[in-house]
Amino acid sequence: MDVMSTGVVAYYVLIAARGGLLTPIFADDGDLSRMGSNGLNAYADPVPQAVILTAIVIGLSIQALMLVGVMKLSRNNPTLETSEIEKNNMP
Amino acid sequence: MNTLSILWIVIPFFIGFVIYLVPKFDRYLALSMAILSTAYGAALFANPSPLTLQLLDSFGVTLVIDPLSGYFILTNALVTAAVVAYCWQTPKTAFFYAQLIILHGSVNAAFACADFISLYVALEVISIAAFLLIAYPRSDRSIWVGLRYLFVSNTAMLFYLVGAVLVYQSTGSFYFGGLAQAPPEAFALIGVGLLVKGGIFVSGLWLPLTHSESETPVSAVLSGVVVKAGVYPMVRCALVLQEFDPIIRLFGVSTALLGVFYAMFEKDTKRMLAFHTVSQIGFILAAPEVGGFYALTHGLVKSSLFLIAGALPSRSFKELQERPMPTAIWVALVIASFSISGFPMLSGFGAKVLTMKSLVPWQVIAMNLAALGTAISFAKFIFLPHQPPEKPAEHQPMRTGFWIAVSLLIGGLFATNGIYYEAYTIANIIKPLATIGVGWLIYLLILKKTIFKLPRLLEQFEHLIGVMSLMLILLFWMVLA
Repeated sequence: MDVMSTGVVAYYVLIAARGGLLTPIFADDGDLSRMGSNGLNAYADPVPQAVILTAIVIGLSIQALMLVGVMKLSRNNPTLETSEIEKNNMP
Repeated sequence: MNTLSILWIVIPFFIGFVIYLVPKFDRYLALSMAILSTAYGAALFANPSPLTLQLLDSFGVTLVIDPLSGYFILTNALVTAAVVAYCWQTPKTAFFYAQLIILHGSVNAAFACADFISLYVALEVISIAAFLLIAYPRSDRSIWVGLRYLFVSNTAMLFYLVGAVLVYQSTGSFYFGGLAQAPPEAFALIGVGLLVKGGIFVSGLWLPLTHSESETPVSAVLSGVVVKAGVYPMVRCALVLQEFDPIIRLFGVSTALLGVFYAMFEKDTKRMLAFHTVSQIGFILAAPEVGGFYALTHGLVKSSLFLIAGALPSRSFKELQERPMPTAIWVALVIASFSISGFPMLSGFGAKVLTMKSLVPWQVIAMNLAALGTAISFAKFIFLPHQPPEKPAEHQPMRTGFWIAVSLLIGGLFATNGIYYEAYTIANIIKPLATIGVGWLIYLLILKKTIFKLPRLLEQFEHLIGVMSLMLILLFWMVLA
């Protein structure tokens, strides 16, 4: 639990790592191409790639948005400790 | 009709950007968009045959629009119109309206699509737009609440994305129906994503803080429609796939009980309403066949309640006991509270009766308990003191926009009451009256005196993420069992 509270910045690393771990699944998926009827097995399936491209763009924009938020917050909470911020902001 | 539907999905995004370019017409554009959506939603009921569109072959975008989504779309349109009316005289910038309309459009898209990837995109756009709306005041607290929301929903959507690709792997398309052939972990992963987005059961406990700490019109939109974007796919899945129906019903019942339990002991008006949203979502899921009507009712009533709660002199029930509110507000508040407790003559009654009728036997006792809890928690509102505004200097004059918004929503409640006439049998009328009566008795005799504070442990940021992974494991075992 302490690991999670080391700071908001650490969360972004975590998210980035999650995004990075996703890719092997899509790579595997490409190998299992289902368009095998005409012997074109070697091609990767483009659909998951197209889809993940959308997801990457969305993920990037969300991260940018969150970073702006964190920069704003860091003005008053320089340590960015989530538990502290939470204590100050709970009703 | 096909072109019309696609146009209708695209237009809000277009208008959203136009508002930003032409800030002078922001309100008019926003309002006309909401009216357009209302007309479209109403037109859906006129032709009951479901409209299915498949763009770009089997792995492309699939849209399914039928009366079920019609209910959701109508809710969205009415709530947006009310919120625009509410904000009409406030100094909100064009940015606010632009985000509001983009949010409106993406929620519409979420209600129309029937494949996992378009849904993913719609849900992510919703998160971004909702974050910008929550963080609109630019205060530290609002930014923190918004960040927390964005983080939780983004993490959940990552789980969801993994699930979606598993479905694709086993069927070669992202259509909802493909979930049946997918491995159980796919349902668990997608389920976690939707449970978190929809604010269901323990993983939905991010919702009270977010909804109560944002501004009044924003919480009305969030509670009225945005959570439904997560609920709608669950309802759709339960209808398409019979084998997942019991799991979703079980979640519905437990959510209804959990939310109402928290709501009964809550001392803050907006937090109470937010917990109540959790419990009402449970009602929608408990009977997926009629969930649409319930969602419409709940959207109308909850957003009007949030708008009214924003006009009250204080947020704490204790202070409200001592400081009477103007009678006009009290009347509006009582009408809304009556509707949500299921009082005859209002659409909450029809919705509750319809839901109760389509329950499976094991659910009945639990759902009646939840209905009782609803009556108890809204007794808090009904028994607040009020007075005619004899000293006008004391209360600031109410804005007309507020009244337009509230009367639109409450008028909607009366009008939709007509949808389900058959509910009016004597047994059906007596039951909710008895429930309300018993609820009030319990409130007056017991709850009014007790002071009991529930711990907010589960609402802390770290626990939200932890609970998410626990839910994942739980869902996985439920599917396997």
